[in-house]
Amino acid sequence: MLDLLVIGAGLTGLTAAYTAAKSGLRVKVIAKGLGAMHWGAGTLDILGYLPGEEGAVKRPLAAISQLPDGHPYRLAGDVAGVLATFVALTEEIGLPFQREVGRRLTQINADSENLLLPSPVGAARPAFAAPVGQLGGDLSRPEPMLIVGFTGLRDFYPQLIAENLTRQGYPARAAFLPLAVVSGRRDNTAVSIARELDNPDQRQKLAQALRPLLKPGERVGLPAILGLDDHMQALADLQGLMGTAVFEIPTLPPSVPGMRLFRALEERLQRLGVRVEVGMEVTGANRGWRPETRDSQSPISNLQSPISIEWVETETSARPLKHRARAFLLATGGILGGGFESDVNGRVWEPIFNLPLTAPQKRSGWFRPAFLDPQGHPVFNGGVAVSPDFRPVDGAGRPLFANVWAAGGLLANFDPILERSLSGTAVVTGMAAAQAIVEHVKCEP
Amino acid sequence: MTKHLDTNILVIGGGATGTAVAWDASLRGFKVVLVERRDLTQGTTGRFHGLLHSGGRYAVKDPHGARECIQENRILRRTHAHCIEDTGGFFVVTPEDEGDYPDRFKAACDEIGIPCAEIPVREALRREPLLNPRLSRVFEVPDGSADSFLAAHATADAARRAGAQILTYHEVTNLIVDNQRVVGAQVYNVATGETFAIHAAMTVNAAGAWTGKIAAMAGIEVLILPSKGTMIAVNHRVVNTVINRCKLPADGDILVPSHTVAVIGTTSVEVADPEPLRIETWEVEKMLAEGNKLVPGLSQMRILRAWAGVRPLFQETYTGGGRDVTRKLALLDHEAREGVAGFLTITGGKWTTFRLMAEAAVDKVCEKLEVKRPCRTADTPVPGAEQGHYWLGHRLHEVEEQHLQSELICECELVTRAMLENAVKRNPTLTLDDLRRDVRLGKGPCQGGFCTYRAVGILHEMAQAGAYRPDADAWDAAFLQSPGKNREPLSVNRDRNTDYSLPNTAPPSPNLLLRDFLQERWKGIAPILWGKQLRQERLDELIYLSLMNADHLPDAELTSPSSDFYHYDATPQEDANA
Repeated sequence: MLDLLVIGAGLTGLTAAYTAAKSGLRVKVIAKGLGAMHWGAGTLDILGYLPGEEGAVKRPLAAISQLPDGHPYRLAGDVAGVLATFVALTEEIGLPFQREVGRRLTQINADSENLLLPSPVGAARPAFAAPVGQLGGDLSRPEPMLIVGFTGLRDFYPQLIAENLTRQGYPARAAFLPLAVVSGRRDNTAVSIARELDNPDQRQKLAQALRPLLKPGERVGLPAILGLDDHMQALADLQGLMGTAVFEIPTLPPSVPGMRLFRALEERLQRLGVRVEVGMEVTGANRGWRPETRDSQSPISNLQSPISIEWVETETSARPLKHRARAFLLATGGILGGGFESDVNGRVWEPIFNLPLTAPQKRSGWFRPAFLDPQGHPVFNGGVAVSPDFRPVDGAGRPLFANVWAAGGLLANFDPILERSLSGTAVVTGMAAAQAIVEHVKCEP
Repeated sequence: MTKHLDTNILVIGGGATGTAVAWDASLRGFKVVLVERRDLTQGTTGRFHGLLHSGGRYAVKDPHGARECIQENRILRRTHAHCIEDTGGFFVVTPEDEGDYPDRFKAACDEIGIPCAEIPVREALRREPLLNPRLSRVFEVPDGSADSFLAAHATADAARRAGAQILTYHEVTNLIVDNQRVVGAQVYNVATGETFAIHAAMTVNAAGAWTGKIAAMAGIEVLILPSKGTMIAVNHRVVNTVINRCKLPADGDILVPSHTVAVIGTTSVEVADPEPLRIETWEVEKMLAEGNKLVPGLSQMRILRAWAGVRPLFQETYTGGGRDVTRKLALLDHEAREGVAGFLTITGGKWTTFRLMAEAAVDKVCEKLEVKRPCRTADTPVPGAEQGHYWLGHRLHEVEEQHLQSELICECELVTRAMLENAVKRNPTLTLDDLRRDVRLGKGPCQGGFCTYRAVGILHEMAQAGAYRPDADAWDAAFLQSPGKNREPLSVNRDRNTDYSLPNTAPPSPNLLLRDFLQERWKGIAPILWGKQLRQERLDELIYLSLMNADHLPDAELTSPSSDFYHYDATPQEDANA
């Protein structure tokens, strides 16, 4: 039997599965679809903004103390330690996250400052660490930037980026190359170009076309296209050929940096014996109770002591499949990840275990008037309340199940998009919850 | 006053009626200037369900209005053929619709001359399988689905070709009244800040829901009864035929297939002001509940957006509710009524009767100016009508046939980069919302999630290249929405009669364009956010906050002429009377 079944294949689920498998647990990951990694910038964002505050957070680990009680970081305890584990994992999988090009990230503490990296619209986006391919864009570096796009690539606008960066005091200019330089396809996305640049010949052609555009002393910013499977070599090749720093700026989804990370993590998990099975939607759990009966009284509310889940069931290839495990980690990601559902009556619910949510249960409580309200929208701040060891709890703080944990975007009391902590909270809570699960499983007979 | 314009006729309002007045009057040889305070169709014309009425809806209660509808329905199918999809319409009797209304309906249609044939329910269900199977009777009528955005552009284009000047983003700040005669208006160009006077022999007030406000500038009270109608779009084209409930008009009893979606409407709520128009929770719930009676399960489908328009209802002595006011047109001769010469108001009516309203108004203009010039609009198709009615798949067909996939900026609505660029040159573009009205940018399921960024990037590139300026030769609305026909550079040579060239407005800040459009989209989705659409909205947040950091860009202090219009609380509230 499995020790741990992880539900959700986002950054939370994968890092949790890694942590548990590394500790010797038998782990499997099942998911309905891919997680938010494929949408995001692919950086490690710990904390970029405190809700309602104008300026970016300078020292994110130090700022954790200013977060409200119940924030996932406040539960996790040793945030820096968990992050160090994640950074080591990125090195293990060959996509090292760093804060300075070429320097292994070994020191993470309360003094560590956020980087500012160019966003696809030319804003300065705070991130704690990034894959080395994005680090050349560090806005604290003095070299002016040449932002190069491709004529006809609809997901990247170098002139807009350059103008906004320049206006904020980061000198940049823009240039275009024809798409034909890197691709023979008619219709291109960053992903299709990245696949092209897995081929060393295409890198040669790109460097050749770029060289005449470059002025001495400039660094080169490109959309995130430098290879999908062979990224590190593509990056090294291009920097070697150009003789200057070359960096990537993330694009509209799908996210090439996110895809690289997903693929590398998945491969690492496979080597640890963990299967990642996507296309499996959980449709029920044991005790004859199914999530779609959400209208009926929750079966868990009247119980004296927490029950155990024996299995969850998925609908796969037109047949139900039971997945038994000693422990279950729910990492389905809230509203963004598809872990919560909601309806016209203002109900928000978690369909697998019917966990109670802190989200307002009426639509009039969900939103603030402006889309870009600096306080965000309350519906996205709600989620699953958990104990300090990441077990879903009832209103009185008692665990609801003996063997269910929850981590990532579905947790209560924070808005990971508003505060720019999506990947940070995923990693920290995923790994911390996995640690708790490891202890639990190892203590059980 | 350093600058002024002289014209025969000044038209106030850039909706269906105003553009048609400009078209009609310029065809009759008048020199015409039309002013619109924002973009064409930003008022009620761009905020209705897109139903080309057969007249059936009014046959029983308002035969006069119904007669106007069927007459104009036939004319518009010729003059504006390419702005209409020939869907046909059903009037259906649901189990709730009892009594003798269906028989009275049929008799009234026959009496008025609205083609109306009862068809077997089985046949109706064969053609529209998602309809409520418990219908008892179905009548077929010549309703249609209209693209009111394209139609207003086409009308304005026709007016332009006949010599009219169409000035968008020009707001009337005052009417110039001289000795009991309106002799023109003071106009403020909201894009440039310029103020000037337009002198005219006749001024026609076609300001729709804002009619009363304009008339008040001449000291005239026009009692407009602003009646809000709320509609919602379902992310599926659940029917291919316009579906009406066969009963006295009430809330949520029309379902119109519109391009790739279906629109259910409307409510009828008296409001004090034509904006802002809050959509109340009960309205959304009512539309869904009523929609279920036509298409069972409609309320469970993904809802894309909600919006509201204001019917400019007019009644001399108003007594009842909004539904009881006649929908026939109202032409007010202020010289006869209040002794103020040189000034007419045209209001009431329906989108379907916009051409007739214009005809009546310009007939009166001729009478006042003591000239005899017959109306020609009924027999003069606007440019583009030769294409015939549009059909659902035309954009996809053109994209696939010409391999334009790589050009797509908005995949939901199949908008290409060239369509966008040409639209920018056609009209002063101060917001991306202007482009939404022109080419349907951002109207699809993702509600601007992907195309907002792309459009901002493209407009910025145009500005950098000096291409962000109006090009009168690009004023060809015939192919406004055609991916295939927007590939070649437009070069239309025609005689123009302009002594006030298109204002060469500075390109707006890209960061402002981005912020404005995100908020504009938000106000229409906030009332219907739940389920899948809520998740989509969260993805948009991920893109614009987490990935782009778009809430920390320069120009945070800038606003556009429409920013205020986008910034009101559109989020669901507790119903006061709930």
